[in-house]
Amino acid sequence: MAKEGIAGQIRSGATAAATHQRWWQRLVIALTLAPALGLIAVLFGTSVVYGVAQSLGYLPFLGQRTLTLSAYRNILGGGNVAHDFWISFGFSLWVCSAATLLAGAGALLVVMLFGDRLGGATRGLMILNINLSFPHLVWAIGLSLLLVQSGLLARVATALHLIGMPADFPVLVRDRYGIGIILDYITKETPFLVLILLSILRSQPHAFGVVAQNLGATRWQRLRYVTLPLVLPGLSAGALLVFAYVFGAYEVPAVLGVQFPRMLSVLALEFFANPDLHSRAEGMAISVIMALVVLVVALLGRILSNRSAS
Amino acid sequence: MRRFVWNIFLVLAGLLLFAPVVIFGLYGFSTRYFYPQLIPSYWSATAFLRQLTDVRTRQALILSLEIGTVVSCLSLLVGYPAARTLGMRPFRGKSVVYMLLFVPTVVPPVATGIGLNILFLRTGLAGTVLGVALVHLIPVLPYVVFTLSSVFARYDPHYEYQALVLGASRVQVFWTVTLPLIFPGIVVATLFAFLISWSQYLLTFLIGGGQVLTLPILLFSTVAGGNPQATAVLSLIFVTPVVVILIATSRYLATDRVHGESGITL
Amino acid sequence: MTRIVLDRLHKAFATQAAPVLAGLSLDVHPGELVALLGPSGSGKSTVLKIIAGIEQPDSGDVRFGAQSLLHVPPHQRGAVLMFQKAYLFPFLNVADNIGFGLKLRGASKQQMRSEVGRMLELVEMPGIERKFPGQLSGGQQQRVALARALVVEPHVLLLDEPLSSLDTAIRHTLQETIRRIQRELGITTLLVTHDLQEAIAMSDRTALLLDGMIEAIDRPETLFQRPPTQTAARFMGISTFVTGRVEGAQLLAPWGALQVAGDGEPSHAATFAIRPEHLRLLDASAPNAVPGALQDVAYNGEFTLYHVAIGADDVRIKAYQTVPQPPVGALVYVQFPPEHLFEVLV
Repeated sequence: MAKEGIAGQIRSGATAAATHQRWWQRLVIALTLAPALGLIAVLFGTSVVYGVAQSLGYLPFLGQRTLTLSAYRNILGGGNVAHDFWISFGFSLWVCSAATLLAGAGALLVVMLFGDRLGGATRGLMILNINLSFPHLVWAIGLSLLLVQSGLLARVATALHLIGMPADFPVLVRDRYGIGIILDYITKETPFLVLILLSILRSQPHAFGVVAQNLGATRWQRLRYVTLPLVLPGLSAGALLVFAYVFGAYEVPAVLGVQFPRMLSVLALEFFANPDLHSRAEGMAISVIMALVVLVVALLGRILSNRSAS
Repeated sequence: MRRFVWNIFLVLAGLLLFAPVVIFGLYGFSTRYFYPQLIPSYWSATAFLRQLTDVRTRQALILSLEIGTVVSCLSLLVGYPAARTLGMRPFRGKSVVYMLLFVPTVVPPVATGIGLNILFLRTGLAGTVLGVALVHLIPVLPYVVFTLSSVFARYDPHYEYQALVLGASRVQVFWTVTLPLIFPGIVVATLFAFLISWSQYLLTFLIGGGQVLTLPILLFSTVAGGNPQATAVLSLIFVTPVVVILIATSRYLATDRVHGESGITL
Repeated sequence: MTRIVLDRLHKAFATQAAPVLAGLSLDVHPGELVALLGPSGSGKSTVLKIIAGIEQPDSGDVRFGAQSLLHVPPHQRGAVLMFQKAYLFPFLNVADNIGFGLKLRGASKQQMRSEVGRMLELVEMPGIERKFPGQLSGGQQQRVALARALVVEPHVLLLDEPLSSLDTAIRHTLQETIRRIQRELGITTLLVTHDLQEAIAMSDRTALLLDGMIEAIDRPETLFQRPPTQTAARFMGISTFVTGRVEGAQLLAPWGALQVAGDGEPSHAATFAIRPEHLRLLDASAPNAVPGALQDVAYNGEFTLYHVAIGADDVRIKAYQTVPQPPVGALVYVQFPPEHLFEVLV
């Protein structure tokens, strides 16, 4: 009886200590996370709230305080605004798909051909990392100086007697098909995807290749049946992230694009900067739609990459 | 044969990488460099020096440096405890926290910037350096937290326990054990945080409203001005820290996968 | 059934001063399982890699039967390796993992399905075709890896410590499974291990690899009971050596004369060895016993380990039955049964 009592006391003391410990740990977790999460929540949260409110026509500086869906109706329905929107939407889709697919294919090709060498070559990794860190704005400027009709490439072509004058050189920047924009993203995002693929390959034991070879796989069969399935989930995830990024980015189409057709980000900013303050709601509505597309695609990519990581 | 293809690939990749820099050099250090000259006939550093000593350039350079430094240091300070918790402590809702930090990095800056524009106008932060620094935190802070939390996820706290057992205080443990162990991660996180802030154009534009003239803002307006020489010189100035930082951190990047993993710098 | 001939293999790595293989020769008979036993760093795995074609020897030859393999590319050698880890492809289920080699050879789906089923029966894991490697335990993974190796009907099976990362109990059952399958299929097998018990339990012959050469090779029980050299004897757990002159059936050692199973050889200098479990600890003098001081007693469950100082030497005795338990420091006698004393080469 007495024994039991003491044991009980000890046990209850232990649980009390454990409860205390648990609370303390939760407090530490909360306190350490709070500053970062708080800052992001305030900054990003208010941006979302204000943005959505504006897209719903809440424009207090114009004395407009009622919420309406008219901005969305204008964009998605008929009329000039909708015409602009759908053309831009289509153009954005075209640029993103082309850039993503080509960058993905390029990255796959590079890794399949040179993955084993590139993984170990510090020089190669360094080149990829430098490329990755170049600001998009500067990269776009560099490409425009390279590709314009009087640019360096045209001059090389002239020197080789391939063309006679600048007008003979194909229009590669500020063209209506977005070729300049696509080229920019291919050259920037291929190295990014290559780095992702290399890090996947590096996290896999080298022995998979040896095992396959040992079971009779030729070099090509090893690529087809081992390397490809190993990197494919990561590649798809990375490609989705690239797509999401390209869909929302502004600088590159602003530097390398034309007035018509415009990508969605350019269109949104134009509406926003319109002296007629009423078109702000439409600009914001375009941003919201863009953000939604980007989020869905990026989250898909994230789910995919988490699944392939586990 | 494969060796040959590999070399061709290296040359092509290198060309592609350095072509923009070479072009900036050609335009920036010459005069009257017109079609169809392949190589400029008149080399000169005048344009470069003029641009470099120009008051607006200098002010923009200093302002960009200041904002970048403040933003990266602030992110490190705020992000460090969160990253440590995320990397080392198991708790429910961790994936939600990661998601909360992930979403702001992918939502296009057009949307974020326009959304914040009104709030900042109302609070008087629009058009101020502080406002711009704050808005830079949206892409930078999550990057720092992600990078450091992946460092902490691979970090073995037993080193700290050992130091504690040997009689070190918490503060001593931090300075003598923790910091040296995670130093590469801290360096990479801070420098790339700086680079992300340094490269921001649209957020600065939307919040600074043309009154906070950082280097990218100046560069963008120069592009619109259509003077290839000025554009080239400014671009060179703009990418110099990028290359310097890359080379300075190269030995960490080669061994550490931090940078390639985060994908924030896309 | 294939015979493996390793002919004077040399291999050195740039990072190490000493060569890993220094003229290693080995003949594995058709259908035989030879265990290659050696400490870590002795070049055991390098031997397998050379046979599989992952590494090239600096000189020497590898032959299956009469055919040299040096110019045969790895994927055409028909020598399948199993590693310490199973390395099942994580993106393929069990059936596709096992069928991997068949797919490479363009087998039909139906053929693959029946072969996979047959192999899973063979490794005692029927019906797990749809599972993924992550859902299997380490031992199960190795069984699947074994099936994956065997399904391509290799000439030769190479096992690179495939069981060393498993728990003892699972390791023992897998040892039996591998041994059974190897006998059933009659596949020539080379097993690399650092585990004496594993080598002895599994092999037809055990080869001791030391300093890049075969130090000794024999049937496991012979190698264990009567290792031919002092180095081999040490590796087999023998630490007691008596050096002296053999005169008739007597060994004249510093501790006195010991009776040995001599067959009337001419007088010569010799070193004799004896396994620790063959020594007997006594508390009174007896024939062929040497007095010494008991230094230490360590009870080890299955046996008791005694250390006795004889002169300057430390003699280890393993006793599986309880013996008189004298206090440490006491005078004891160590008996050397003549039938267990054997001569080794130094």
